[in-house]
Amino acid sequence: MEYLIHIAIIVSLYAAGAMSLNLIVGETGLVSVAHAAFVGIGGYAVALLLTVAHVPFVVAILVAVLISGIVAFFIGATFLRLREVYYVLGTVGFNVIVLSIFLNWSSLTKGPLGIAGIPRPEIFGAQLSTNISFLVLALIFVLCVYFCSSFITRSSLGRALHAIREDEAVAEVFGYSTVHYKLFVFTTASMLAGAAGALYASYISYISPYGYAVTESIFVLAIIILGGLGSARGAILGAALLVILPELLRFVGFPPEIAAQLRLGSYGLVLVLFMLYRPQGIWGTFKI
Amino acid sequence: MTILKTRKLTKSFGGVRAVDHVDLSFEGGKVTALVGPNGSGKTTLINTITGIVPVDGGEIVIGSESFRCIRSSDIATYGITRTFQNSRLIQQMSVLDNLLLVLTKRNVFGALFERHEAHHLDKAEAALRRVGLWEKRNEQTENLSYGQRKLLEIARATLMRADIYFFDEPFAGLFPEMVKIVSMTLGELRAGGAAIVLVEHDMALVRELADHCYVLDSGKVIAEGTPEHVLKQENVVEAYLGK
Amino acid sequence: MDIAVQIGLNTIVAGAIYALITLGFNLTYSTARFFDLSYGAIAVAGGYAVLYFYKYLDFNIWASIFLGTLIAGALGFSVERVVYRPLRKRKATLTVLLIASLGVLTIIQAVIAMLFSSQFQTLVRDTGAIATLSVAGGTITLSQVIILGAALSIMLCLGLALRFTNFGKAVRAIADDDEVASVVGINSDRVIGTVFFLGGVMAGVAGIATGFDTGLLPTLGLALLLKGVIALIVGGIGNVYGGVAGAFLLALIENLGAWQFSGEWRDAIAFVVLITFLIFRPQGIFPR
Repeated sequence: MEYLIHIAIIVSLYAAGAMSLNLIVGETGLVSVAHAAFVGIGGYAVALLLTVAHVPFVVAILVAVLISGIVAFFIGATFLRLREVYYVLGTVGFNVIVLSIFLNWSSLTKGPLGIAGIPRPEIFGAQLSTNISFLVLALIFVLCVYFCSSFITRSSLGRALHAIREDEAVAEVFGYSTVHYKLFVFTTASMLAGAAGALYASYISYISPYGYAVTESIFVLAIIILGGLGSARGAILGAALLVILPELLRFVGFPPEIAAQLRLGSYGLVLVLFMLYRPQGIWGTFKI
Repeated sequence: MTILKTRKLTKSFGGVRAVDHVDLSFEGGKVTALVGPNGSGKTTLINTITGIVPVDGGEIVIGSESFRCIRSSDIATYGITRTFQNSRLIQQMSVLDNLLLVLTKRNVFGALFERHEAHHLDKAEAALRRVGLWEKRNEQTENLSYGQRKLLEIARATLMRADIYFFDEPFAGLFPEMVKIVSMTLGELRAGGAAIVLVEHDMALVRELADHCYVLDSGKVIAEGTPEHVLKQENVVEAYLGK
Repeated sequence: MDIAVQIGLNTIVAGAIYALITLGFNLTYSTARFFDLSYGAIAVAGGYAVLYFYKYLDFNIWASIFLGTLIAGALGFSVERVVYRPLRKRKATLTVLLIASLGVLTIIQAVIAMLFSSQFQTLVRDTGAIATLSVAGGTITLSQVIILGAALSIMLCLGLALRFTNFGKAVRAIADDDEVASVVGINSDRVIGTVFFLGGVMAGVAGIATGFDTGLLPTLGLALLLKGVIALIVGGIGNVYGGVAGAFLLALIENLGAWQFSGEWRDAIAFVVLITFLIFRPQGIFPR
C-alpha cells in the first residue's frame, strides 16, 4: 500500500512537470530540453533553504519558484529570439551548464554527494511526515497546475500561443510580439517545474545532481509526446504510463542496471514511434 | 491623401534585384493595382513593406515618418495589413478562432485576462456572415475548401481596421459568386477611406476595380497610370508577351 | 613554456576530433536539412564497436577500427533509411525530425549501456605501455598521432571528393537546392543515404579517436555532437572550413579553461562559448 502511495506521488509530480512542459512544447511549439534544469533549481533551492537556512517550507517553495522564474526569464530572453534549432541547442546547453554547476560547485551544492536530510513540508504547524499526507499535497498541487494550464490555454493568450506554434510569422503580421508570449510561457512553465522539483526534493528528502541531466528532460518530453501535445489530460496520462509501466519491469526480474537502460531506451522508442506513426499522441490536440 | 509611399525601395536576393529602386504611392479611398509578369517583384515588394523580408535600400514613408526597416510585428500599429498569395491561416484552429485572433488584445496580460469576448464575437460574426462562412465557424480551418480559405483570409484582413490593405491575388481560383463577395468587400473598404493595394493577374478585374495601376517588370516600375492607359502601352505588352 | 606546448598539442588532437564531427555533421545537415541530434551517438557507437572487437574479441587493431567505422557508417545509413527518410517523404517539420533524432539518440545510448555497461571504458589495451613522443617539450601519445593523421587524411579526402567527384557535385547540388537537384535528375534519396553512411563513418572515426584519447561513456554522444555544433556556429554556419577553424578554436578555449579552472568545467565552458556566439555573433567568425 505504501508502495502504491509512493507511485501515486511520483506520478503526480511528473504529471505536474509534464503539464508545465506541455505549455512550452505542446501549446507554443517550442522544443525545450531544459525542463530538468528548472526542476533541479527548484529542488536545490528548497534543499538549501530548508537544511541550511531553516526557513519555513512555504517560504522556501515560494523562493524556489521565484528563483526558477528569474533564471527562466533571463534564459528565455536570451534564447527565444533565436531560430528554432539554435533555441533548442541553447536549452540543451543550459541544462548541461546547470548540471555542471550542481556537480562542481561543491561548496554550495555538496557536489556529487548531494544534499540529504531535507525535511518534509511543515504547513500551518502540521508536518507532512506520512506519505499519505504528502500525497494529498501532491494531488492538490497537480490540480493547481491543471487549472493554471487550462486557464492559460482557454484564454486569448492560449489562442495566440496556438497561432505562434503553427505560424509565428503570421502572428507577428497581425500585431503579436511573439517573443513576449514565448517568454511568458517559458517563465511560467519553468516556475511550475521549479515548484514540482521543490516538492520532489522534500518528499525524497535527498537530492543529487544526477537526477537533472538532459536525459530527464528527454523523459518529460517523451511523456507529453506520448500523452499528446496540447493536452493537460494527455500529460497526466503520459506521466502515469511512463512511470508505472517501467515499474512493472522491476517485477520481471531484470537487474537494476539493465532495467534502467531499458526504461531509457523505451523513452527514445516512444519519441521515434510517435513521430513516425502518431504525432498527436494519445490525447493530443495538436499534430506537430 | 497618401497613406503610404516608397522611395527608391530596394531588395536583393543574392545577386538578383527583386525590387529595384521602386517609387510608389498609395492613396486613401483608391484601389491601386500592382501588375506585372511572374517574378516581377510584386510579392517581394509586399513582403518588404510588411516586414517579412528586410529592406536593403530606400525607405517606406507612412504619414510623416519614414522607415529604413520595419518589423512585421509593428505593421499593425502603423495601419498596415495584408493577405497572402497562398492563404496563411492557422490550420489547426477553428474558423472563428482565426478571426478572434486578430480581434483580441495583443499584449500578454491583456490577452490572459481578456474581458471583451462578447464584443469580439459580434465583430467576428459580422465578418463571417459577410463572406458566408458563419455556418462553418467551428470547423477546423484545414477542412475548408480553397475558396473558403481565401474568403476567410479576406475577412481576417478586414477586421484589422487598417489604413492600407495589401491583397496578394485575392481572386485567384475563386468561383464567380466568391469573386463578387471579394469585390464588394474591396469596395466597402475603399469607401471607408482606406488605401487598397491589389496584386492581380486578371486584367478584366483590374480594369473594373482599380483607380490607379503600377506595372512592374524585373523589380522596376515600367509604367503607371489608369488601367486603360497603362495596359495599352507598348512596353507593358512587351513585358508580358516578350519582345 | 612547456605548458603552452602541452596545451597546444592537446588542442590539436581535440580540435581534430571536433573537426571530424563538424564536417560529418555539416555534410548531413546541408543535404537532409535538419539537425540530427543522434549524430554524436553514432560516433560513440563506433567507439564501442572497436571496444568489442579490439578488447573483447582480441582482434587486430586495424581490423577492429575498420569494422568499427563500417558499423558506424551502417548505423548512420540505417537510421536515415528507417526513421528520417519516411519523415522527409511526408514533409515532416523540422521539429518532428528534431524530436525523432532525440529519440534515436536515446535509443542508441541505452542499447550501448545495456551491452557494455555505463562505466567509463578506454580503448587502450595496455595502459602501462603507452608509446609517447616528445615534441618541443610536450608529450603526445602514439594514438594521438594516429588520430591526427587519420583525421587530417579524412578531411582531405572529403574535401577532394566534394570538389572533384560526381558524388561530390551531387551533394553540393542538393545542399544548394534539392528541388532543382531532383529536376536535374539527381537521385536525392541515394545521395542522402550515402551521405549518412559517410557521415556515420566520420563520426565513427571521431568516436574511436575519443575512445583512445579520453575514453568512452555511453552518454558521450550528445556532448560530442554539441562540441561539433558549437564549432560550426563559432566558425560560421554554411562555411565548411570555418567549422574546422571553429573546432580548433573551441578546443583551444576548452583546454585553456581546463588549465585555469579544472577539467570538470570543460563542458560548461564549451556551452558558455556557444551561448556567447549565439547572442553576440550568430553568423560566426567567418560568415558565408
